[in-house]
Amino acid sequence: MKKVIGSISLIVILLLSTILSGCSNKSDAASSNGKVVVDFWTFWGSETRRPVIEKIVDEFNKSQDNILVKHTFIPWGDIWTKNLAAVAAGNPADIVINDINSVSQRAENNQAEDLSKYIDQDTFKEQFYSNLWETVLYKDKPYAVPFTTDTRLLFYNKDAFKEAGLDPNKPPATWKELEEYAEKLDVKQDDKYTRIGFYPLFGGFGAPSWLKNADNGTGYLENGELTINTPNKVKALEWLVEWQKRYGKKTIQNYQAEFSNGQTNPFIGGKVAMFTDVATFYTQIRDSGTKMNFGVTTMPTFDENSKPWSDGGGFVAEIPKGAKHPKEAMEFIKYLTGEKAQKFWAEKNYDNVANIKAAESVLNGLTGDAKTVYQNAVDSMQYTTLSPVPNQYPDYQERINPLVESAIDGKITAEEALIEAEKDVAKMKK
Amino acid sequence: MTADQAKTRLPSISLSPKKTRAVAPSVSSVRKRNLIGYIFILPWLIGFVGLIAGPLLFSLFASFTDYNITSKMNFIGLENYKRMFTLDDMFWTALWNTLYYVIFSVPLTTAGAIMIAVLLNQQVKGMKVFRTIYYLPSILSGVAVYFLWMQLLSPSTGLVNQFLHIFGIEGPSWLFDPNWTKPALILMKMWSVGGGMLLYLGRMQGISPSLYEAADLDGASGFRKFFHITLPMITPIIFFDIITSTIGSFQIFQEAYVMTQNGQGGPGNSLLFYNLHMWNNAFKSFDMGYASAMAWFLFIIIMALTFTNLKVGKKWVYYDGGDDK
Repeated sequence: MKKVIGSISLIVILLLSTILSGCSNKSDAASSNGKVVVDFWTFWGSETRRPVIEKIVDEFNKSQDNILVKHTFIPWGDIWTKNLAAVAAGNPADIVINDINSVSQRAENNQAEDLSKYIDQDTFKEQFYSNLWETVLYKDKPYAVPFTTDTRLLFYNKDAFKEAGLDPNKPPATWKELEEYAEKLDVKQDDKYTRIGFYPLFGGFGAPSWLKNADNGTGYLENGELTINTPNKVKALEWLVEWQKRYGKKTIQNYQAEFSNGQTNPFIGGKVAMFTDVATFYTQIRDSGTKMNFGVTTMPTFDENSKPWSDGGGFVAEIPKGAKHPKEAMEFIKYLTGEKAQKFWAEKNYDNVANIKAAESVLNGLTGDAKTVYQNAVDSMQYTTLSPVPNQYPDYQERINPLVESAIDGKITAEEALIEAEKDVAKMKK
Repeated sequence: MTADQAKTRLPSISLSPKKTRAVAPSVSSVRKRNLIGYIFILPWLIGFVGLIAGPLLFSLFASFTDYNITSKMNFIGLENYKRMFTLDDMFWTALWNTLYYVIFSVPLTTAGAIMIAVLLNQQVKGMKVFRTIYYLPSILSGVAVYFLWMQLLSPSTGLVNQFLHIFGIEGPSWLFDPNWTKPALILMKMWSVGGGMLLYLGRMQGISPSLYEAADLDGASGFRKFFHITLPMITPIIFFDIITSTIGSFQIFQEAYVMTQNGQGGPGNSLLFYNLHMWNNAFKSFDMGYASAMAWFLFIIIMALTFTNLKVGKKWVYYDGGDDK
């Protein structure tokens, strides 16, 4: 009997010790051939993106004597929760690609490193679009470096324009023109729309974006102040309600359902004549095989006096709090966001990048439609604002959206919705 | 000597029958035996304390703090609960949506499963094929099924509305109309009642034919036989089914997360279920303290309901061979 107990306890101890050793930190000298290994997490695992990022990593590694960047692909759905768990466990990667709008949230919550000690801010920030740089600041210190960005544009079907007797080289410039054009572009067959001229909520420019476009580029929040219930935003929401009324709820819901699976695009399929999306949408048109004759322009303006305000987002390179090799990581981030790597990324992926020089030099190499679209995107950047998530109102969008939806659905008026939304968000302030 | 004691002594009897049969085990050998027992369940104990009980108690504590995983964990008393009940309108929306779903889906799926089980319990040729067909939806896994139903429920091209169209009914926009999103999900749940059906069927086949024969001799109709024999005999399964499906329905999450745009609980928050709101707080706003408070409130609701079920259950559940019934 004693022997049995003895062997069982031996096994248990053995098991326990292997579990415990698994918990302990791996030796800090994570190096190969004496080089410092920088662990770099991205969600770029697709056939198109992965080779590009790995080429950039390779190029950097070749130029270094004591840094070796190791790229790790983590799926889109997991990467940020995994990063958070790793930060909490004190064992994060050295660099992670993260969302630009929530940088200050992570800075406040101790999830990212302050990068100001590794760079000279005044000269370093000159490389990037200023709206992007502002978004990575928390208490005037950068906690990330902008990598890619995007901006919404208006795509339109030139053939449909010709068919409707419109000048294909003169896209709508204001909201009013949008309405006039849309009316001409509608095609109806026994009470059913076979083509919709334009519906503002299809595509990449949602209700919050239209409200921003109407309100001089001001989103729901400006410098920590709530700017939800403003006269222009009420007007914009009323305008959105009008569109829904014009086409009818049923038509809109049918269209939405038909295209919600993402397999077909209503614009490329010729079901919608004008459509909002990011510049990269061009590659979808190009690869669709339809040889579509399309035009593109910056967002239409609220009235003759306002600017073509657009909405943007993007991704940043960030050093998670507690990373083992922040200095070496920053060396790579500098390369990653520098002109050469950014230009390579932009060319290969047809993506908008944060580095101004890179974005502009990409333009020179492009021709035809690719150039037109990219040019418009670069032009649109100065009128593009982001929607950073402030720490006091982490879930403000989720609170406003349902009320805006109710207004569009006709359950409450636009004004009621925005008054209520502002009250709701204010109530939950932290 | 009860049955349990007899079982535990069995091995030692067979090992050395003559010596141990008469002699009571010494204190040290009892201890030794207990120790061996504990060592055997040690892996499970470690798992339970480390992975279940520990985190559970931690989240109870976290619900009284402003814990956000990385930087804060200050004790704030009942602040989270206060915020939940008095300030957060979305909390009430989420609770209402979840209750609506539970109230309709639990009775409907239970009744549906019983009905199909009764139909599949007949002596008809090819019954095995039918049973397989009705059970099939239950073996398909979650997300694929949701995508399938998103297509089926598509307002203009979906099969459901095209079927309704044959009868001249213009179907609703289902997942795009806030008034129809929850019924759409309940409809989808009805499709996979096969799992419950199997339990009912198993029980029904265990009912002694003599009961039905006696009823036949007395000239009972099919309905009478169902209500007076079948239904009482399957009450233990109904009881089990109601308790587990109530708990399951309160935890509805994936459906809303997968089938709404960006997992936001889409149109007009009509599919913002309790767990989805909790998840958003935990993993989008990183407000773990608040999410923990929500989790514990849900726990209390489910506990209370299960307790009531158990109490009320005594009155209507029939157990074969039970002494007190």
